[in-house]
Amino acid sequence: MLRVAAMLAALAIGIAGCGGSGDDDDGGGGDAKKVTEAKPTGNVTWCIGKDTTGAFGTVVDNFNKQNPDANVKLLELPEDATLQREQQIQRLQAESDECDVLGMDVIWTAEYAGQGWLQDISDAVEKRKDEFIPSTVETALYEDKYWAMPFNTNAGFLYYRDDQVPEAPANWEDVYKQAQQDNGVVYQGFRYEGLTVNFLELLYSAGGSVVNDDATEATADSQEVRDVLTFMADGIKDGAAPKAVTTYKEEESRRAFESGNATFMRNWPYAYALGKESKIGDEFAITTFPGYGGNEGAGVLGGYNLAISAYSKNPEGSLAFINFATEPEQQVIQASEASLPAVLTEVYSDPKVEKAMPFAADLLKAVEQAQPRPVSPVYPQMSEAIYNHVYAALQGDESPDEAASQMNEDIQKAIETF
Amino acid sequence: MEAATARLKSRPAERGGYGRSERRLAAAMLAPSLIVIAAVAAYPIGYAFWLSLTEYSVRVPDRWRFVGFDNYTDALSSPEFWDALTTTFIFSGISVALELVIGLGMALCMHEAFKGRALLRTVVLVPWAILTVVTAITWRTIFEPGLGLAPVLLDKLGLPGADVVWLGQEPYALGVMILADVWKTAPFMALLILAGLQVIPDELYDAAKVDGASAWQRFWRVTLPLLKPAILVALIFRTLDALRIFDLPYVLTQGANGTTTLSLIAQQELTANRLIGLGSALSILTFVIVMVVAFIYIRAVGGNIRALAEET
Repeated sequence: MLRVAAMLAALAIGIAGCGGSGDDDDGGGGDAKKVTEAKPTGNVTWCIGKDTTGAFGTVVDNFNKQNPDANVKLLELPEDATLQREQQIQRLQAESDECDVLGMDVIWTAEYAGQGWLQDISDAVEKRKDEFIPSTVETALYEDKYWAMPFNTNAGFLYYRDDQVPEAPANWEDVYKQAQQDNGVVYQGFRYEGLTVNFLELLYSAGGSVVNDDATEATADSQEVRDVLTFMADGIKDGAAPKAVTTYKEEESRRAFESGNATFMRNWPYAYALGKESKIGDEFAITTFPGYGGNEGAGVLGGYNLAISAYSKNPEGSLAFINFATEPEQQVIQASEASLPAVLTEVYSDPKVEKAMPFAADLLKAVEQAQPRPVSPVYPQMSEAIYNHVYAALQGDESPDEAASQMNEDIQKAIETF
Repeated sequence: MEAATARLKSRPAERGGYGRSERRLAAAMLAPSLIVIAAVAAYPIGYAFWLSLTEYSVRVPDRWRFVGFDNYTDALSSPEFWDALTTTFIFSGISVALELVIGLGMALCMHEAFKGRALLRTVVLVPWAILTVVTAITWRTIFEPGLGLAPVLLDKLGLPGADVVWLGQEPYALGVMILADVWKTAPFMALLILAGLQVIPDELYDAAKVDGASAWQRFWRVTLPLLKPAILVALIFRTLDALRIFDLPYVLTQGANGTTTLSLIAQQELTANRLIGLGSALSILTFVIVMVVAFIYIRAVGGNIRALAEET
């Protein structure tokens, strides 16, 4: 009996002790290591998603050839973004020094920085800030410091059948109207990150937002959100978009468009080259997003950033590699040989790139008009709140009003996460 | 006589002494496996339970606090949990029942002696040998609106359902999930039942025939009662598996349209949202639910085996 009491007491003390330790650090990576110097020496391991095009391997080879004192090794993570994040987080939680340079989807940057998993590379980014497309650099900023260097970017396009619609409509309202008369519009309406992107593209075009500027307060219970939700839900109800879009990710939308079952499609640039090889290859064109509600069109930024792991033993070598991979020369190779949209403005007017990507000028415009998703360490939860309620609205399970206020509540709950 | 009593008297003591050393030996021999079980099962479960009483910050490094049973109150007061629980039980109930009926049918077919039996047995097992994730991707493709095998076939045959967005609508999405699960695991059920069938002696059937029992009576009065233990074991395996179902809904729908299961919400909180405390609480709740069901089953099987032993 006495022993049990003693154990309980010890446990209670332990618990109290732990509870106390909770509040003393509120730093958000305040004492993060800072890398200022780049030195191309030593071993560097680069952990990024599967090298499906061979482009990552090319950068690594080029770097190793030019820097005999350094040795960069490519460690390929799964092809699926969710699994890449899982793999990286497992290593970071274990404080593993296996990965020096992390290739992160732009939406993970804040989360990793908040957890103290990255090294501060503000100096290096500030120095070269003017070379980058401004919107891409924004994705690497968290609590006034730069934690990563943009590596490649992405923004959606509106694909349309120019045999059915000679000219692209000037706004989304007309896209849907036209779609209803013709063969419909397809997009990524499955309940996942892609739906968040599709919704935010319309919302940003409508001038709305889901959080305030520093992502500390939810702003989703707004007229813009209700309008866009109504617009999307009505699109399905009125037949402008087929009911099947609620099961579509990128590939399903592409297949539906290529099989001739849609007049319009929202998709990433990757679908262009593939579409040109399909049976409708000569019958479609692409354009940047149209406006909505009298506003200019806007998009949502995708892409990958490169950061240095807090547990890297060779931050100088890592920074040298990151600088190299984001140089114009390498970016041109990435863009022209692997169709990876570059983060540097000048790359888009390079003849090699223009030849490989006939839509380069449009792409630059799309990336420039695109905005980052909320930069927050609890972004995964925010996105879940967004796609869950957009989906419920699309399915008619929630009215646009309900969906908007529920979304707002869930986003606020995410922000207030401990 | 006296000697006999002495022997009798000394027996309990002897037995006790013998028993004690026997018990010690048993304990020593069991120790390694008990230690292994403790290391691979008890420790992780205990650790998960401890984590479920805490909250780790997702915004500040190394910050955490003890929250007692808050995560459990959060989980139990959220409609998502109860929805997932209902879905999990509906899925498990229907799919296991279908698997039992179909598996039993398959087992009876495979048990008959005919030409090509070996081939049939192999072919029947193929779905079970395929990874669940591959199964799920296959079925998702089959039900892809407009382009998949199912809508195209239904359309060609003029049957209703060609225009249904199978994975995009309640309750069809759950239906597809059950179909995929039954397709994959009915062979497993069949295999376990077949093993049970093979130990029923032919003499019993001969005797029943001599007594004038019809084929139907032989099935109900001889086969089924003797299969009961095998069926119950198969049911335990399948029910516990079904209650933990994760891969099918993860690939088919990501939990959309009424297919969110308990494991799916636990995984969402643990890996996507990194809410270690809440995720662990959900895992522990799933664990407890599965354990209760297992306990009920074991009681049922235990009773049945005894009843069977008494009958025969």
